Amino acid sequence: MAAQGIWSGTISFSLVAIPVQLVRAVTPGRVSFRLLHSTDYSPLARRMLCPKEDAMIPPEEIIRGYEIGPDHYIPVTDEELESVTPERSRTIEIVEFIDMEEVDPVYFDRPYYLVPTKGGEKAYRLLAEVLHRTNRAGLARFVLAEREYLVAVASREGALALTTLHYSEDVLPDRDVVPKEGKVAAEEKRRMKGDIEKMTTEFAPDKYADARRVGILELLKRKAKEQAPVEAPAVAAEEGEGPPDLMAALEAAMRDVKKDR
Amino acid sequence: MNRQVVEIAGRRLSLANLDKVLYPAFGVTKAHILDYYRRIAEVMLPHLKDRALTLKRYPDGVDREFFFEKRCPSHRPAWTETAELLQDDGEPMTVCLVNDLATLIWVANLASLELHVPLARAASTETPDAMVFDLDPGEGADILACARVALVLREIISRLGLVSFVKTSGQKGLHIYVPLNLPGTTFEATSTFSKAVAVTLQKNYPDLVTAKMAKEQRTGRVFINWSQNDAAKTMVCVYSLRAREKPVVSFPLSWEELENLAGKGDRERFQVGHEEAVRRAEKEGDLFREVLTKRQRLPHL
Repeated sequence: MAAQGIWSGTISFSLVAIPVQLVRAVTPGRVSFRLLHSTDYSPLARRMLCPKEDAMIPPEEIIRGYEIGPDHYIPVTDEELESVTPERSRTIEIVEFIDMEEVDPVYFDRPYYLVPTKGGEKAYRLLAEVLHRTNRAGLARFVLAEREYLVAVASREGALALTTLHYSEDVLPDRDVVPKEGKVAAEEKRRMKGDIEKMTTEFAPDKYADARRVGILELLKRKAKEQAPVEAPAVAAEEGEGPPDLMAALEAAMRDVKKDR
Repeated sequence: MNRQVVEIAGRRLSLANLDKVLYPAFGVTKAHILDYYRRIAEVMLPHLKDRALTLKRYPDGVDREFFFEKRCPSHRPAWTETAELLQDDGEPMTVCLVNDLATLIWVANLASLELHVPLARAASTETPDAMVFDLDPGEGADILACARVALVLREIISRLGLVSFVKTSGQKGLHIYVPLNLPGTTFEATSTFSKAVAVTLQKNYPDLVTAKMAKEQRTGRVFINWSQNDAAKTMVCVYSLRAREKPVVSFPLSWEELENLAGKGDRERFQVGHEEAVRRAEKEGDLFREVLTKRQRLPHL
C-alpha cells in the first residue's frame, strides 16, 4: 500500500530538524457492516432521541454535558472545549532520550512509521542509525487530532518508528490483580521450566490469523458469487421548499427570465 | 491470458486481455479503452484528483454483469495513492485516488469503464467543491427536454450571480455544475439551495419539470435530481466513458453549443463518442476547467 501520511511536519531536537510524514503501521482488521432495514434494505440513519419529548433532536439543539451524578451535568460548549484543546503540532520536539528496554510494554498504544520527506533523508538515516546502535528512544509531546500524546521515537529496522504511549495516570495499578507471593516447590519449578523450554519457538506472527475475520471474508466472497447484492430503495424527496429569502429571490429571477423569453 | 507489461511515467504495469471486446456492438476492445483514457488523461485527471474513486467494472463487456467497487482493490500496485475514509461505524475504508496517468490506466485495465467520484475531495469529505443538478428525463421525455430545462436553470441561477457549466451524462441526461471551491461550504447548503431551485422550476413549469424522486411523477417530465448534493453520493466524472451499447462519454458542452443543439432538435448529436471526445478535447481544451477553480458563494442562505 502506498504510504498515505496522516500528518506531516518536522521532528527536532537541539539543532536537528528532519522533515517527515507520519504513516500508520497497523490498521484495525475489523470487518465493518452497515445497518439496514430488513424489509426494504434502506441503510439506517442514527438520530438523537429526546425521551422526554419523544422527538428527534436536530444537531443545533445538541450540547455536551459532563455527568457529575444521576441527572446532574455540567454543560460544556464547543467553544469551551476548543479553548482547552492544544494546537495541532507542527513539530515533534524530542525533549529527552530514554532506554527503550526500560519502558513497560503496557505503555505502548499505537505504532506509526515516520517517513522522511524531501531533503530530510540524510538526517533521518543518521538519527535512525544512532538510535538503533544505542537502543535509545526520543520522548516527545505531540498533538494529533486534537489530543496531546506522549510519544516515543525509536529505530525499527532502519526506519524511525513512532509509538504513542499511554499516560501513567491511564495505566491501572497492578497491585490488586497480581496475587501475593507464596512458596513453590523446586521440583515443580524445574518441571514447568522444562515444559516451557520444549514449547519455545521463534515468534512467527504469520502463523496466526483472526479466524472470525477470515471466516467473514470467505462468507462474503461466497455470497457475492451466489447472489446479486440487495439494493437500497431511492429515498423520496422531502417536502418543503427552502429558506423564504432564497425562494423569493428565485421567484423574482424566474419572472425576469419569463419576461425575456 | 495475454498479458503485456508496459511502463508509464516510470511505473510498470501489467495489462491483461487487451483484445477483449468490451463494447461488442462497435467492436471496441480493452486496448481502445486504455488508449482513450491515455489520450483524455490530461483534461480528465484534474477532475479525478484527490477524490475517492468508485469503480464500475464490466469485466465481460457492457452487455454483461457489472459491479461497483468503492474499496481500492487490495491487489493494487504499491505506487497507487489511497485515502482512508471513515465509515459510519468509525471503521476506515481504503479508497483509490486517481492522481496520475499510471493509476488511471491501471483502473481502466480493471475494466472500470465508468469512473465515479464524489463532489468533495477525500481530505475534506464534508466540503463540496461544487453544487450539481442532475437532469434526468423520465419516461416519454428526452434530452431535448433536458436541454430546455438546463437553459432556464442556467438563466435563473445566473441572475442570482452564479456561473454554471454543463456536461452530457453520456446517457440520456445532462449535469449542471456550479463551482463553489470555498472552504466552509456544506452539503446541507448545496442541497438546500439546489432543492429550492428545483422546486421553483417545478412550480413554474409543472408539465416539464419535477423535483420529486417518485417514478410516476417523472413520466413525460425532466427530474431535477438535487439530492446528488450529498457526501455519500457520487457523480460520473467528466470525460468518463459510459457503459452503454455505444462508447459514449460524459462530455462538457459550452452553453452556446447546448442552445444550438436544442434548436436543431437532433437528439443523437448530444452524444459524444470516445474518438470525438479526444479530438474535441485536443482542440478546445478542458471546458470544465473552471469547475475546479472558480470561487462562488451561494447567496440568500
